Amino acid sequence: MSDESSFAPATEGARTPWPEPGKVVLETRGLVRDLGSEAVKTRILHGIDLTIREGEFLSLTGFSGSGKSTLLYLLGALDRPTSGEVSIDGVEIGALDDDDRATLRGEKLGFVFQFHFLLPEFTVLENVMLPMKRRGARAQTAIESRAREVVESLGLGELAGRRPNQLSGGQQQRVSIARAVANDPRIVLADEPTGNLDSRNGLIVMDVFERLAREQRITIVMVTHERSFASRTSRQLVMKDGRIVEDLDQR
Amino acid sequence: MSRVVFFIALRQLWDRKLLNGIAVCGVALGVLTLIGINGIMQGFQQKFLSNILRISPHVTLFDRQLRPQAPILARASEGFVVTDVHHESPADRILRISRPAEIVEALEAMDEVVAASKLLVGSAVISRGSQQYPVEVRGIEPARQDRVTPIASYLLQGNYRTLEASPDAIVLGSGVASRLGAKVGDVIVCGSSLGQRLNLKIVGIFEAAIPPVDNTRVYVTLRNAQALLGRPDTVGRIELKLREPDAAQVVTARLEEMFGYDGESWQETNANFLALFKQQNSIIDFVVGAILAVGGFGVLAIQIMIVLQKTRDIAILRSVGFHRRDILSCFLLQGAVISLLGAFVGDVSGHYLIQALGKLKTKQEGLVKSETFLVFDDPRFYWYGFGFALVVGLLASLIPAVRGSRVEPVDVLRGQLG
Repeated sequence: MSDESSFAPATEGARTPWPEPGKVVLETRGLVRDLGSEAVKTRILHGIDLTIREGEFLSLTGFSGSGKSTLLYLLGALDRPTSGEVSIDGVEIGALDDDDRATLRGEKLGFVFQFHFLLPEFTVLENVMLPMKRRGARAQTAIESRAREVVESLGLGELAGRRPNQLSGGQQQRVSIARAVANDPRIVLADEPTGNLDSRNGLIVMDVFERLAREQRITIVMVTHERSFASRTSRQLVMKDGRIVEDLDQR
Repeated sequence: MSRVVFFIALRQLWDRKLLNGIAVCGVALGVLTLIGINGIMQGFQQKFLSNILRISPHVTLFDRQLRPQAPILARASEGFVVTDVHHESPADRILRISRPAEIVEALEAMDEVVAASKLLVGSAVISRGSQQYPVEVRGIEPARQDRVTPIASYLLQGNYRTLEASPDAIVLGSGVASRLGAKVGDVIVCGSSLGQRLNLKIVGIFEAAIPPVDNTRVYVTLRNAQALLGRPDTVGRIELKLREPDAAQVVTARLEEMFGYDGESWQETNANFLALFKQQNSIIDFVVGAILAVGGFGVLAIQIMIVLQKTRDIAILRSVGFHRRDILSCFLLQGAVISLLGAFVGDVSGHYLIQALGKLKTKQEGLVKSETFLVFDDPRFYWYGFGFALVVGLLASLIPAVRGSRVEPVDVLRGQLG
């Protein structure tokens, strides 16, 4: 598609160094999560202590079942830990009720999942606008111009009026990234965002994330299986059996 | 509720036009049935009641005494001899209302009473040529009686006033006239087993649109009836028109107490019909309720399906900052819109149905005589339909909405849902 060729992936090499990370935006202490019923309980996370700073592009790797996604959901205030504490941008979320956590997600976090999760009844632009409309921090006209700006910056300008089912997989995933960042999140949490894409589109998504982290200093936590993508991030965490076994500074 | 929830709810509704349209039709059908069936039933009942109230007095006082005096022998020997008189012949105790003029005067002085009139009613046979036909003769005071039961208003032919002016006039029910082949101006012979035979001239033919009445009743003057039935100077009943027909039962009880004669309200007179109507109405309420409930189940089924299909969408909305309440209101709103649309469609189509039925030509005879299909277009039914549809729709969407609001995004993401 012409649209995708105009948005070619960046070439390897000639990497500029990563900027210094800023203040702490995500922190966990002694994070434990058990899943399953009372009878058959499995410990997925064994006490994770983690500090993530502003502007970091962090990849979480590890085999399936190592607890990457579980950790990501806890970092995203989508799940409650069995014990331990998560604080997002200085707010301890254990103390928050369901509504407060939803509001916090809307204000500070953006999510990108393996599947795009776009609402089929709404156009690209409307999908990007929904979280902003719920948050209500911008005026209606500002919401639309912001959505347009983000959509265009991701090379989707011409598709703004289309519905998700009229887009390719790569385009859909870029729309979901646009939705995640349009609301000015502090942190974008991505759960295998390239898992459903071919390598070309995967590279495009990686480029988008890298640009967000470098240029807008949005903190990105990305769960991925792909080593080549993981190695492009500023910091790589390797998980095994619910523990972080490696913490590589890749700057 | 946030405006964006409105936006999402309406867009999702619109995007599933077919499914939601079916749900709307289910609700509309319930409302349509409510309006249609009630319109037909009430049409008949109201017509019947209004006909009844035209020819039937609100209250009738009969000549049966509620506290009859003891036989004369017992009265004479009161105090010291125990007597009992057996087999007193009916002829010895003529049934009549004593001092009727005074009673009528007293009645008309009462606030609740509009008019009162004296009557004598009995059976007679009308002969015309070789034909004989049994009738119920009502001896009336024409002018007074017209204020109690407006006979003049349903007179088909002739002149009602002639009944009072002429000494030998009779007014026939339309059925009686047609059976005898008699017209206004004809002379007929009327007689009973106890009284005289009278030659009477037909001065009018009435039609109350209630066949059992039109086929049997004739009106003559009170004086002629007394002669005809062999009961001179007797008044057999007093009929009343009240200011408030609905108060008839209460007033009847009071009159019985005051005058000591057996009274009957129009509700008692027509108790069998009123009971039948009551039963009919409960059956209708049940049927309409059931149909509305089925409409509600339609909404329920479709909404549950939609909520199940939308689990992923709910998950993402919750992830990006939407509260449980937002999801709940989103689906409740859809239920409300479906039921409002259904109520609207049902009300409008119900209105046209009633209109169309009202224009239908059918000849009805039986309890009520009518040339058209009887319907009653009561605005209350539209409101009932609207209210019930809204309640049913909201109740039906409550379960799916609560279910949708309970979706945990993390369960969907882990792949346990959706």
